[in-house]
Amino acid sequence: MTKATEQFFATLPARAPEVLRAPVAGTLRIDLSDGHCTDHWLVRMRPGAAEVDRGPEPSDATWYCGTELFDRLVTGRAQTIAAVLRNESTFRGNVVLLLAFRRFFPSAPSTRDPREVAREHARWTR
Amino acid sequence: MKDLVSILDGNTFLVSDQRGDVEPSLDFPTGLFSFDTRFLSTWLLLIDGQRLHALSVDDAACHRTRYFLVPGEATHFLDTKVSVIRSRMVSGDLSEDLTVLNHSGQEMSFTVRMEMASDFADIFEIKDIKSKKGHNTATPGENSLRLTYRRDAFHRETTIHSSADAQVDRRGMTFQIRIGPHGEWTTRLTVTTVIYGARGQNVRALLPFAGSRTSAAIESEHADFVDQAPKLSCDCQPLAGAYRRSLADLESLRYESIALGARLMAAGLPWFMTLFGRDSIFTSLQVLPFVPELIPPTLTMLAGLQGHRVDDFRDEEPGKILHELRYGETAGFEEQPHSPYYGAADSTPLFVILLDEYERWTGDAELIKQLEFAARAALTWIDTYGDLLGTGYVWYQTRNPATGLENQCWKDSWDAICYADGRLPSFPRATCELQGYAYDAKMRGARLARQYWNDPVYADRLEREAAELKERFNRDFWLPDKGYYALALDSDGSQVDALSSNIGHLLWSGIVDESRARQVADHLLGPQLFSGWGVRTLADDQGRYNPIGYHVGTVWPFDNSIIAWGLWKYGLREEASRICDGMLQASQYFSGRLPEAFAGYERDLTDFPVEYPTACSPQAWSAGTPLLLLRVMLGLEPKGEHLIIDPHVPPGLGRVELLDIPGRWGRVDALGRSREEEPGLAE
Repeated sequence: MTKATEQFFATLPARAPEVLRAPVAGTLRIDLSDGHCTDHWLVRMRPGAAEVDRGPEPSDATWYCGTELFDRLVTGRAQTIAAVLRNESTFRGNVVLLLAFRRFFPSAPSTRDPREVAREHARWTR
Repeated sequence: MKDLVSILDGNTFLVSDQRGDVEPSLDFPTGLFSFDTRFLSTWLLLIDGQRLHALSVDDAACHRTRYFLVPGEATHFLDTKVSVIRSRMVSGDLSEDLTVLNHSGQEMSFTVRMEMASDFADIFEIKDIKSKKGHNTATPGENSLRLTYRRDAFHRETTIHSSADAQVDRRGMTFQIRIGPHGEWTTRLTVTTVIYGARGQNVRALLPFAGSRTSAAIESEHADFVDQAPKLSCDCQPLAGAYRRSLADLESLRYESIALGARLMAAGLPWFMTLFGRDSIFTSLQVLPFVPELIPPTLTMLAGLQGHRVDDFRDEEPGKILHELRYGETAGFEEQPHSPYYGAADSTPLFVILLDEYERWTGDAELIKQLEFAARAALTWIDTYGDLLGTGYVWYQTRNPATGLENQCWKDSWDAICYADGRLPSFPRATCELQGYAYDAKMRGARLARQYWNDPVYADRLEREAAELKERFNRDFWLPDKGYYALALDSDGSQVDALSSNIGHLLWSGIVDESRARQVADHLLGPQLFSGWGVRTLADDQGRYNPIGYHVGTVWPFDNSIIAWGLWKYGLREEASRICDGMLQASQYFSGRLPEAFAGYERDLTDFPVEYPTACSPQAWSAGTPLLLLRVMLGLEPKGEHLIIDPHVPPGLGRVELLDIPGRWGRVDALGRSREEEPGLAE
């Protein structure tokens, strides 16, 4: 497991009030595998709150992901749904939980605000 | 397209020629497709080495068809000692009953050959063939042939199985058959398409609906769907036919999302067999009075996939509603941005509009509360990321010049937004209808905030902002010399002065000053925009006008249905009637199935509507058009717990009776009659 991944999970409870606003509740298990061993992360989500735990407990949904891919996701260098479509990562269970969880992932590094970029070129701004 | 035959079940579809054959095509999606992947690109029947000749095709149903064939070319004398029937059905998978009939009094021998192959092309690779990055294998088995494609973990498979004994090779199956006098031989070919997911499981097998269903199950599902919809009884046969056809097409375009497990509406065959934000919202608005049960899964899924970060490749921003979701290889490997792609500036305000309209019909307060956060995020997008230049308008400019869309409005082809003289404006652009939608979204958002979200302060703010937007818009977009609204503003804030159908959407949104509605309507029904069948996308005196230009001259049935709704909103019933009448007349030429678009030629010139060359059919929002026209003609408008019925039926249409209209009132009936017979009657 990478440092970025560990830090990511550590911040979830504090970020949840801002990120988890929709009425979605359930437990997502994330199985991170480097090919040899698997880390099991449990994220219990409800509106405004997320609790993080570890262990191979039963869950409403399970997401299987490579350690390296997950590191790219938590640092904004990969995107969840594309990874599932190319089967690099797979998912089982209530998909609403995955859609809610992906909201924790950040933009790519050095992404600029599109308004800033547009206003640099346009002549008519207020 | 005309001589091709399509069958579909959800987003699985097969396009073949009149003989039932599929040959590799470089420019049009022929073959068997599912979830944006072509699973069969060759499917070709030979008898004694000869191709067959089509006698007739039975394509009355959406999901199955029968081909009646004889060997030899049409120019030959048809020696009908033998004939062939191919009876096929698509239901997640494909099955084909291939029957050879011996009409002679003697035993006959034949070599029946079916050529089979799959290129596993992604739908985006059809027009732009590149060599595939993965590898194909073909594995013959006992009466079966397995075709597979792998690229890293991406794994698709087509398995063809024959019920009769076959000699199988890597390119198909051969049957050496003997048929007794007046006898027949038959085999059932079953084509299974597999999308491999977690741990080698077939993803589709896990879906409750998308697995193979029997023909009877599909038909009973269709029957239930039609049964739930209001019953139409009318004097006008084109209207009755279009209504019937529309319901059948809408039902057949429903598919089960592979990633999402919800039943959604595909946009159009063959290019758009997937979820589009804009198309699904407009279709939902059209069909809401008839089949409201289609709306909640669409709204829920659009909310679930709402943008949450800034992603330049996908033109994604927080709060934005998606444009297009694809499931294929190019989306997965990020060669195309559709995972999902957010390059639409209208789907976000339209999402709020649909949510409010849905509540007004159904009273489903639960969904309004569930989607409160999504709707607020959408409304916030309008004033933040949507207002790229900070000028109080919604603008667009792609941040993905390689594979993004230049125009992020419904007219999304590259040349659709132009000045009257044909020049193309600079980016970012703010098209007029986007501002109309933003205005309407704020007004409707205010209603929802007051009634359901317990937030009168927010409601007041939204109404104030809407009023300011309307005032600003009527100042900045109005062309006083021309008497209509500019198509757009360019990046200098100058008016893009083309005369286009977009001004009809402004009526629908309510942003048009009352005093200007008449002038706008006169343009819509004037000779430059109105072809006699409907309103052209671009007026015929504009620089870029082309009667067969995708968004610069063709007539779009969906566009016309929204324009008719807009005319009605401003009390312009006669004008709305003319559009309803023109569209219904046109629908007759397409057996009730309005295509995506047809040519903008003057009605007097051609006497029939000329189909746009590569138009999609069926297309969800074209199928939705007759339904919305019915609403407009009968003047159906929810008010509180009641349905107002205020009919205005075009002359010559006679009686129009719609029974059991569902809504918060239970079920009610509406009746209207053409004016010349007697004044409109309401229940």
